[in-house]
Amino acid sequence: MKAAPVFESGDHRWWILHDQDEHRVIDSNVYVMESNGQSILLDPGGFEIFPQIFAAMVEVVQPSSLQAAFVSHQDPDIASSLPLWNACNGKIHWHIPKLWEGFIRHYGALDAHFVSIPDEGRELVIGGRKLEFIPAHYLHSSANFHVYDPEAKVFFSGDVGAALLPPGHSAWVDRRDPESSKAFDEHIQHAKFFHQRWMPSNEAKKDWISRVRQLDIDFLCPQHGAIYAGENVQRFLHWFDALPVGTALSAMHA
Amino acid sequence: MDIQRIMAIVEASYQTRHSIEGALRDIDRRALNAMVLVKRHGNALAGYGVVARAFREGAADLKEAASHMQKSIAPLIQAHMRILQHRSYADLFRRMRETMDGAGKICPTLGCTEETWAQTIAAEEAEALNILYILIQAVNRIQEGIAEQEYVVTNGRIEAALSEDTGAPLMRVSRDMGNAVGIVRDAIRSYRNQLEELLHESGTGF
Repeated sequence: MKAAPVFESGDHRWWILHDQDEHRVIDSNVYVMESNGQSILLDPGGFEIFPQIFAAMVEVVQPSSLQAAFVSHQDPDIASSLPLWNACNGKIHWHIPKLWEGFIRHYGALDAHFVSIPDEGRELVIGGRKLEFIPAHYLHSSANFHVYDPEAKVFFSGDVGAALLPPGHSAWVDRRDPESSKAFDEHIQHAKFFHQRWMPSNEAKKDWISRVRQLDIDFLCPQHGAIYAGENVQRFLHWFDALPVGTALSAMHA
Repeated sequence: MDIQRIMAIVEASYQTRHSIEGALRDIDRRALNAMVLVKRHGNALAGYGVVARAFREGAADLKEAASHMQKSIAPLIQAHMRILQHRSYADLFRRMRETMDGAGKICPTLGCTEETWAQTIAAEEAEALNILYILIQAVNRIQEGIAEQEYVVTNGRIEAALSEDTGAPLMRVSRDMGNAVGIVRDAIRSYRNQLEELLHESGTGF
């Protein structure tokens, strides 16, 4: 597992922990935001990859700086490591979709400190920096949130933008030639099936795109695959808008 | 092993790594400054030139030794987190067996599974101990490098005293060098103490 910087401005930093060493479970990215010596983990990952995530995290932030963790939805690759993090640091506040609290408790750690995120979303301040929990329901989970940092212009997009990439992949969709869409076109082939199969609702997708287009985003950071930066953010939104999703059943019955 | 003890080591590893990285950069800068100063004064500071060169070489050796130490830190943390992960399985089976025992039911398979996890954890603890030994050896090498640098700094102070009439601020340069080395020395000494406590607890099966 590697740690790479996403954004840095003074004491305000974002990192991606990516390219896990265990390949029997789906490859996942974990993000860390640090501000003024306080940090938050975004989608801290599955039980099986916890040791490598933890070791990678210690490369970039002081473990005691960890104040909070954000859980976008209930899936095991997102939060099944929760009881292990809680064993290491029982002071972490877990920001979790209200709808999924009782489900996520099934991973263990009945005593973990949960803070509900209502359906309409809300804000959180970490180290003086505001983060917005943006509703992304039905993309793919029925209670699902993304995270926007308006100062860093980082948008953590959970499963939206996800791509199934081979081991050793880069943290970024190639951005050496930002004017050309060649790298994006190659990358997005790895994202197509994921979105068609896991995203259930065109209506939810359209609603999300219309809201996200209003945000100023430099880095769109998915939980699987690679980060879209600069022009690739708009390329992705355009591609996703045009992609029919929720088509699995009709395809199977065809 | 107590998780709080492991977390203290994790915390100390982070702090030591960062304080050493900063101090090593500082040592390198100080060494470069000293060499520039020597160059500016020509033959008059030839003796101090030898010291400055040795200090710069020592800084490179320290950097190399620190990189070996850093390579062992992540595997040690990972090994202990894997033990934590597998202990949670072992605890689950222990609780199940205790519940069955309490209900007067005997389930030998549960006992076997518990034993299998205990063996897995014992093997992982042995691996973690091995990594800890390697890490302590790497710390040893840094401490040897620091002792060398302190010797160079002492020689620098003598040379500075002998070259006082040149007007070059060699005493200050030597003091700055000594301070930078002192930061690494103190950080690594404190880290070593914590690692040795961990080693002691590992050895006694705490």
